[in-house]
Amino acid sequence: MNDLKPVAADEPITFWDKHRFLLLIIGTLIISTALVAVSIVIYNVSGSAQLDLSRPGYRSVSDKVDRTDPVSDYSSFGPVNKETINGFTKIYAEQAKKAKAVDAFNGDPLNPDVLEFSDPTVSQE
Amino acid sequence: MKIRVRLALFGLAAAVIAPVFALHTASAADPLSSEQMSRIQANCLSIKGSLTQLHASDALLRVNRGQIYESIGTKLMDGFNSRLANNGLDNKGLVSIGGEYQKALTSFRTDYQAYERQLSVVLRIDCTKDASGFHSALLDARTKRTQVHTDVVKLNQYIDDYKTGIDDFVLNFDRVTGKKS
Repeated sequence: MNDLKPVAADEPITFWDKHRFLLLIIGTLIISTALVAVSIVIYNVSGSAQLDLSRPGYRSVSDKVDRTDPVSDYSSFGPVNKETINGFTKIYAEQAKKAKAVDAFNGDPLNPDVLEFSDPTVSQE
Repeated sequence: MKIRVRLALFGLAAAVIAPVFALHTASAADPLSSEQMSRIQANCLSIKGSLTQLHASDALLRVNRGQIYESIGTKLMDGFNSRLANNGLDNKGLVSIGGEYQKALTSFRTDYQAYERQLSVVLRIDCTKDASGFHSALLDARTKRTQVHTDVVKLNQYIDDYKTGIDDFVLNFDRVTGKKS
C-alpha cells in the first residue's frame, strides 16, 4: 500500500528534465556534424573528390564524361581454346587501341613559356 | 696512414656539405626575376583562367582514361589470367605483367591526386599579391603533372607487354596442343 503513495506535486524538476528536448537536438546536431566531417575527410582522402565532376568548376566538362563502358567482365570460367583466345585478343586489342588513342597528360601546359610569363632574358638565349 | 685519415675526413666533409649545396641549388634553380614577377601580377587573371580550364580538362581526362585503364586491368587482364589458371595453364608471365600493370595504375591514381591537389593550391594563391609563391607552387604542379604522364606511358607500355604476353602464350599453347593432337 505504501507503493501507491501519490507523488508530491511540488517535487522540483531537474535541469536534465527541463532541457531534455533541447539536449536531444544539440546531441543530434553534434553527432551528425561529426559524421559529416568524417565522410568529407574520407571523400577527400580516398580520391573520390578528384573523380567527382559535379563539383563547381567542373560543370563545363561534366557532360563530356564517357558513361558507357562497353567492356563486360571476361569470365574466369570456361574453356581455353583457339576460339576463346581469339575472342579475348579481339576485345583486348579494341580496348588497348582506345587506351592509347590519346597521349594523356602529355605536353607541358604549366610551362612558364606556355603561360607567357617566362623570363625574357632566358628565352632570348 | 695520414693520407687515409685525410681522405676519410675529406669524404665526410663532402658528405655533409654536398646536401647543403644541393638544397641551395634546388631552391635557386629557377629564381623569379622581377620581370617575371611583374608579368605574373599583370597577367594574373589570364593565367588563372588558363589554369582553371586545364584543371577541368585534366579532371575529365582522368575520369575517362582512368575508366579505360580500370576496365583493362580488372575486367580483361584479371579475367583472362583467372581463366588460364582455372584450366591449369601456365599464366605466370601474364600474371606478372598484370601485377605490374596494377602497380602502375595505383601510381597513376596517387600521382594524379597529388597533381590535382597541387594545382588546386596554385589556383587558391592570389598571384597579384604572392607572385613568388604562385610561381613555386606552379613549378611543383608542373613536376607532378609530368609524373602523371610518365605513369600513363608506363601503363601503355604494360598494355603492349600484355599483348606480347598473349602472343607468347598462344605460341606455347599451339605447340602444346599440337603435340597432344
